[in-house]
Amino acid sequence: MERSDVRSLYRLAALLACAYALPFAIGGWYGAVHANERWLGYLATVVISGVLQGGVYAMFAVGLTLIFGVMRIINAAHGEMVMMGAYLTWVCFFRLGLDPLLALVLTLPVAFLFGVALQKVVLHAVVGQPELTGLLVTFGLGLVIVYVTELIFTTDFRTIPYAPGTVRLTRTIAVGQSKVISFVIAVAISAGVYLFLKLSRLGKAIRATALNAEVAMVCGIPVRRVYLITTGLAAALAVAGGALVSIQFGFNPETGTVYTLQAFTIIILGGRGHYVGALIGGVMLAVLEGLVSLLVPNGTAMVELAAYTLMIFVLLIRPGGLMGVKDA
Amino acid sequence: MRTRALYILAGVAITLIALAGPARAHHRPNNEVVLGGAISQTGQYAEPAGRQVNAIKLWVDEVNARGGLLGHKVVLSLLDDKSDVQTAIKLYEKLITEDKVDVLLAPYSSGITEAVANVNERYKMPFVAYGAASSPIWEKGRKYIFDIVAVAEDYQKGAVFLAKQIGVKRLAIIGQDSLFPRQVGKGAKEWAKKAGIEVVLDENYPPKQTDFTALLQKVKAAGAEAIISNSYFADSVAQLRQMRELNLDFKMYSSTVGPGLPNFAEQLGNTAEYVLGYSQWEPLPAVLKHPGMQAFIESYEKRFNEKPNYHAGGAYGALQVTEAAIKKAGSFDNEKIREALATLDVETAFGRYKVDARGMNDHEGLTFQILKGKRRVVWPEKWAETKAELPMPEWSKR
Repeated sequence: MERSDVRSLYRLAALLACAYALPFAIGGWYGAVHANERWLGYLATVVISGVLQGGVYAMFAVGLTLIFGVMRIINAAHGEMVMMGAYLTWVCFFRLGLDPLLALVLTLPVAFLFGVALQKVVLHAVVGQPELTGLLVTFGLGLVIVYVTELIFTTDFRTIPYAPGTVRLTRTIAVGQSKVISFVIAVAISAGVYLFLKLSRLGKAIRATALNAEVAMVCGIPVRRVYLITTGLAAALAVAGGALVSIQFGFNPETGTVYTLQAFTIIILGGRGHYVGALIGGVMLAVLEGLVSLLVPNGTAMVELAAYTLMIFVLLIRPGGLMGVKDA
Repeated sequence: MRTRALYILAGVAITLIALAGPARAHHRPNNEVVLGGAISQTGQYAEPAGRQVNAIKLWVDEVNARGGLLGHKVVLSLLDDKSDVQTAIKLYEKLITEDKVDVLLAPYSSGITEAVANVNERYKMPFVAYGAASSPIWEKGRKYIFDIVAVAEDYQKGAVFLAKQIGVKRLAIIGQDSLFPRQVGKGAKEWAKKAGIEVVLDENYPPKQTDFTALLQKVKAAGAEAIISNSYFADSVAQLRQMRELNLDFKMYSSTVGPGLPNFAEQLGNTAEYVLGYSQWEPLPAVLKHPGMQAFIESYEKRFNEKPNYHAGGAYGALQVTEAAIKKAGSFDNEKIREALATLDVETAFGRYKVDARGMNDHEGLTFQILKGKRRVVWPEKWAETKAELPMPEWSKR
């Protein structure tokens, strides 16, 4: 590591310390911080929920960062693919009577094929074009997905009543069953993808293409096929994320944009093209949102303000994000 | 001689044009008048607004079967504002200036109505709002907007009354950060003050919030015994689910718009039980006894396979009012219709319409509780079908 790189890490650490201490300071000022067991229980619940939520956020972000890392395409339709996953799961649950987690066996291959087709028909044309072209194309694609979904499913909000129970960790701390299940599955899938990229031959080919597509091509890597697999994988990750979202929250065709924004914030925090960074970024974002909401008066209305302010400062101090390096 | 004939001809033509001018409706082919508006058919308001669209379509078919408005066939021109304020403003400009609709329909939600009210005010075209209940809209001296529904400030009146009845002393008021929920919250705070109940937390959240874990913990940490939640559909569903998942017990939970929608109880299953909701109107002709109610409910149910909710009832009532006003005005002249809307006193399937100087109707709503999957009126007492079952049982005992 260069010295300037190390220095920016220190500065980032100081910034994060301030960012997480600030809600406590404000809460303390307004008398919302207490030292008794009950209040610490509330605090712990919020932090634990944040970590659980962060794991799921991270999985969206991994898909987004994968496409960007390999093809330099900013996929603005990523959240819409997450939403699509939620609807696929809904159909499996209500029409086919499948358990939402079991349904992954069916939905993930479908999503992978969707990704491959998308790459073949649309994205191949924009690989290597200026980044704005890819952004515009995927933005349009997102709108198409939204309106097709509206045509089929209308704009009614839907939820999947699955695992509504609670998991009691201690006397004062309880979290939702669906949250714990989602977290475990999200981390398992993300870890699987990580290991696949690190260890398998194909995964290495993907990483090589991400580093330099031309050199990879010279070395005999079938770059076009790598692109197909990458988009397929990213779509599968998004759809898996959608399945996990669908068992926790309500959704309608327009909820996708929220997830796109979240995924963007996470990869900016964690570092573009970095998989462990995405996990850390996801947890950082979710925990900060929880703390602001719990501690600051009327803080729930300021959650997004806090998240994007943090994002701006991270960009100023360390443009590559927490785990990222400077762009070559 | 020929010049003189030309002059006469021109004179006749000008007179004819001048005569035809104000009665714009006559310009259209087939003796049609256009009823136009932009209502959210997609986006976060699509759920309640969709029911209004149903009621509007039903009324248009009925009025045409009756021979139309002043002998003109009514043609409906409905646009979609995507639940977005800016889109709504643009669409109303288009409806008024380009499409030249004859009669305006109102949009849905207080926020959008507030913005659109500036547009129709500028072009002096009146409408009766059925999807906006926030009184600030009517406190800016506007002359072309009228209202049929009860004010937002009274939505939680019944809930506060019921909370007092079961001895709640500490109350939390949470709500979506937009015009209507904030007005409901303001009213709830005043009712709580009058009832001597302390409001220990008053907090808003962004419209797209899905995770309420931290907010619910905050409510509990503030020591609240009951929650008044000024929420729409998705947020109230999420709050109840998460309350149950986090095992947080409250004596009472009262929402505004969500529980009134038919699929609320469907989506939540028994988590929806004991929840209080507010309704402008319920399809209960035996209880409310408004004229024409029975017929409206039957034809709505026949066409849309569900009973109308209060959103549908309000839109239908507003159109009955509009019809009465046009009849009274005897023309499609906007000034005359405005005058009629301001002075009219008429009974509709939704209740009585008689506005005050601001243009607001003194409509009375009701509070219901979801019991065994059904909405049962619990307040005011004169309409109560059953006694409220409060406090809500603990989650662990359900």
